[in-house]
Amino acid sequence: MSSRDALRITGGSVHDPANGVDGEVRDVCIEDGRIVERLPQGAPTLDANGMVVMPGGVDIHSHFASSSCNHARRLIPDEHAANPALAPELLDGETPARSGTGGTVPSTFTTGYRYAGLGYTTAFDAAVAPLTARHSHAELDDTPCVDGGIFVLMGNDEYLLRQIEAGERDRARDYAAWLLQSTGGYAVKIVNPGGVEAWKGGQRNVTGLDDAIGGRKVTPRSILETLADAANALRLPHPVHIHANNLGVAGNAATTLASMEALAGRRAHFTHLQFHCYGGGNGQPWSSAASKVIEYVNAHPEVSTDVGQVMFGPAMTITADAPVEYLLHKSSGRRWTNIDIELETGCGIVPLTYKDKAAVSALQWAIGLELFLLSQDPWRVVLSTDHPNGGSFLSYPALIQLLMDRSVRDERLKLANPRLLAGSALADGLAREYSLNEIAIITRAGPARLLGLTRKGHLGPGADADVTIYSRETDLAKMFATPRYVLKQGALIVEEGQLRRALRGRRLRVAPGYDPAVLPGLKRHFDAFSSVCFANYPVQNLPGDPVPVG
Amino acid sequence: MTASRAKVEPVTCLGCGCVCDDVNVQVSDGRIVAVTPECPVARTWFGDGSVPERVLRDGAAAELSDALTEAAALLTHSAGRVLVYLAPELSTQAQRTALALADLLRARVDSATSEPAAAGLLAAQRRGRATATLGEIRNRADVLLFWGVDPTTRYPRYLSRYALDPEGSHVPGGRRGRKVISVHVGEARGPAGAELEVTLDPADEIGALSVMRATVLGNALDPLPPALQGAARAAGELLSARYAVLVHEAEPSRLTPDPFRAEGLIALVQALNGPTRAALSSLRAGGNRSGAESVLTWQTGYPLAVDFAAGFPRYTPSTRGLASAGAGVTAVLIAGNTAGLGADASATLGRVPTVVIGPRASEAPFTARVAIDTGVAGIHEAGIAYRMDEMPLPLRPPLSGRRSAAGTLEALLTVVHQRLRERST
Repeated sequence: MSSRDALRITGGSVHDPANGVDGEVRDVCIEDGRIVERLPQGAPTLDANGMVVMPGGVDIHSHFASSSCNHARRLIPDEHAANPALAPELLDGETPARSGTGGTVPSTFTTGYRYAGLGYTTAFDAAVAPLTARHSHAELDDTPCVDGGIFVLMGNDEYLLRQIEAGERDRARDYAAWLLQSTGGYAVKIVNPGGVEAWKGGQRNVTGLDDAIGGRKVTPRSILETLADAANALRLPHPVHIHANNLGVAGNAATTLASMEALAGRRAHFTHLQFHCYGGGNGQPWSSAASKVIEYVNAHPEVSTDVGQVMFGPAMTITADAPVEYLLHKSSGRRWTNIDIELETGCGIVPLTYKDKAAVSALQWAIGLELFLLSQDPWRVVLSTDHPNGGSFLSYPALIQLLMDRSVRDERLKLANPRLLAGSALADGLAREYSLNEIAIITRAGPARLLGLTRKGHLGPGADADVTIYSRETDLAKMFATPRYVLKQGALIVEEGQLRRALRGRRLRVAPGYDPAVLPGLKRHFDAFSSVCFANYPVQNLPGDPVPVG
Repeated sequence: MTASRAKVEPVTCLGCGCVCDDVNVQVSDGRIVAVTPECPVARTWFGDGSVPERVLRDGAAAELSDALTEAAALLTHSAGRVLVYLAPELSTQAQRTALALADLLRARVDSATSEPAAAGLLAAQRRGRATATLGEIRNRADVLLFWGVDPTTRYPRYLSRYALDPEGSHVPGGRRGRKVISVHVGEARGPAGAELEVTLDPADEIGALSVMRATVLGNALDPLPPALQGAARAAGELLSARYAVLVHEAEPSRLTPDPFRAEGLIALVQALNGPTRAALSSLRAGGNRSGAESVLTWQTGYPLAVDFAAGFPRYTPSTRGLASAGAGVTAVLIAGNTAGLGADASATLGRVPTVVIGPRASEAPFTARVAIDTGVAGIHEAGIAYRMDEMPLPLRPPLSGRRSAAGTLEALLTVVHQRLRERST
């Protein structure tokens, strides 16, 4: 069937938390790629009797379509060789199916197919240097089945830092808008505000919110404030997306809380929170500070977060937080790629394995679960592994199982190194088990709402007909790893657990307005310092229409 | 009659891996008549913009549709035994389509750079690397070390536009704010006018890199043999840098460097990032060669030497380039310009039925079964292409009206796909 056909999904237990539907058996009607209220009698049906029906998954924070990912791919031929991916046997045959390779950073086509196979139909690459946006869009063109977008790195941008230093916050806002429009971006991303510039400039890093960056009158705090205000003033669908300072450092929870407090009252999304919830430091051993941080999140409705769960097994750390990657390289002895990107940001890559017998890995794993289990509002604490940093997106089903089944969780905990788990709420025993509806919130409805995607993450009339249908299984990991059916824009792309169609994904981007008076100064800046002409900077011929702002 | 004359700017030049995107091109009556700023490589690469527009079957003129049909028949008949070769001067879009063909045909696939650049690419897979974009070099490098290379000849604007002369955001003095170390390795000489010159016998090259790395890591090496003392001095200068950049030729065309050179340089630069900051700048040729590696990597996971015969990409870095054309390959598809092929490769291709789609295909140095001329990426064809630092840049063709390589490969893909579907039903 094509995306234009009508289809009535019947008999399934529908979990559509955005519309207050919690497991009711009801029809879901589809026409022309959208959810509709009703269909005429006799419309084709899909029997979902006994099955679980949810909106398609939405990944709010992943790394799968960027030049950084491509550098990471290049670093792991061994992983690719161990995980070949045959081209799927597609039914429509209009587009050639493509082979590829897996591992922690799969090739593009395989990434799209595997997301679809997991029931995910929307994903965002969370860290793209503006200069490389053109590359990300090319990769997204080759990543089928998912609607995709990119978050644009701004937290160490030279022009932005200069505007902040000059007190020109309106100009900084207009620059942010111009950057989003020029790169086809969806959201403003900050990575280690000021810390990457400090790394490139020989200062190595910043540690506190009020550290001067490169001896200038710019601090991490001023970057956070400026860009949070910019995103909110531009009324972007997603607030500023923040990877805070001191990622992965013992004792960093204090920085995380200070960053949240710095933006108190402003909408802001703090990403991969698990990596920012460590106690200890200053000679004290690592410990969990998850309870403290999640307590703040619970009490502040303007704050949202994704967890960045660590899963035991191989991972690939890819981040613009280049100074962290240098330290990881030195401590792990693993291969290391560093790329300094002019005027904008950095990039560091180190392959890594999280071992349950390693004390810090076990602590990280436990902290992620604590954040989930102590969260009082699943709409604001959503699922991610910071793919592939904490683990592959393919580990989401295993993570869901850990959240839904305490006995599985407790058994896994017994295998983990307990050395740093003293004081961990998880080790003390957390009885909570997520319901199917809560899973639907943290994997689709919540991320869609946080992203401001009004047509995603729900099954109400007008929504994109992205639907995932699971057979019920006792083994929850198996259930979520192999959906029985997946529909994308109304087309059945997974049938009986097999990928059958590979629709081209749509591009999700914004094009906020800006004061054109910013352009002459910007051009002068480019002329003085960039290796790319100002006229060549904006990405041309972006597909689709931008998502409205405001 | 008055000649029509137009100025097109800024045009992106694929003459070398600098991929300067600030080139002004004067066009008169459909011909390029001037290219500024002055650059001998750009002048040669743009030429007057004229390219042949022929379609040939076994050397004789043919209709495009017939040529595509024959090409598809040849390639599908040989499916599983095809070599797809990504030659230069294709846009990234065309490269993507050529790779789609390779996947569909279960072909071996490789690119023009796999032979000269393999040592560096493989070393970077073993170790990673520390590098920077060209603008970052311009903005930050206060000590530049050239390892057996003077970029002036092959990359004429590397020094003036990026690395040495211009003022940078953190190097306001331009050249005056930078120190240059020129390392001569045998006949491979660094640039003249350096503040420090070091001369090495090629036999001492890897030893010198090891001494430099040891020095950077703080391991005393004393006394050193005289031949290596200059290297230790150079390492000392690098340690004094705020931001050191080491420049090397990553695609040597004449002098074959020690195969461990790239790995030694990578390791040295990585080590420098302990005491200071440092980046390795790898000089790469033009024609969007870097783009071929980028596309190969995102579509298959590997940057070179991929074999789809098993139905998925396998990495075969020990069999590279056109060398595999003789072993079990019964048809070849070359996408891109064949002008740079050596005599051996041309002789091989003369024996294997070959389809060539790309700029000057009809002038290939062998008789192709099918040759379809197209425009040149960046001169006649839009899209994107990659700089030596793997930054993607837009192509703004100053001329138009030529057959597009991306479109022609797309048309071939459609026919091949259709034939394979018919065969499987």
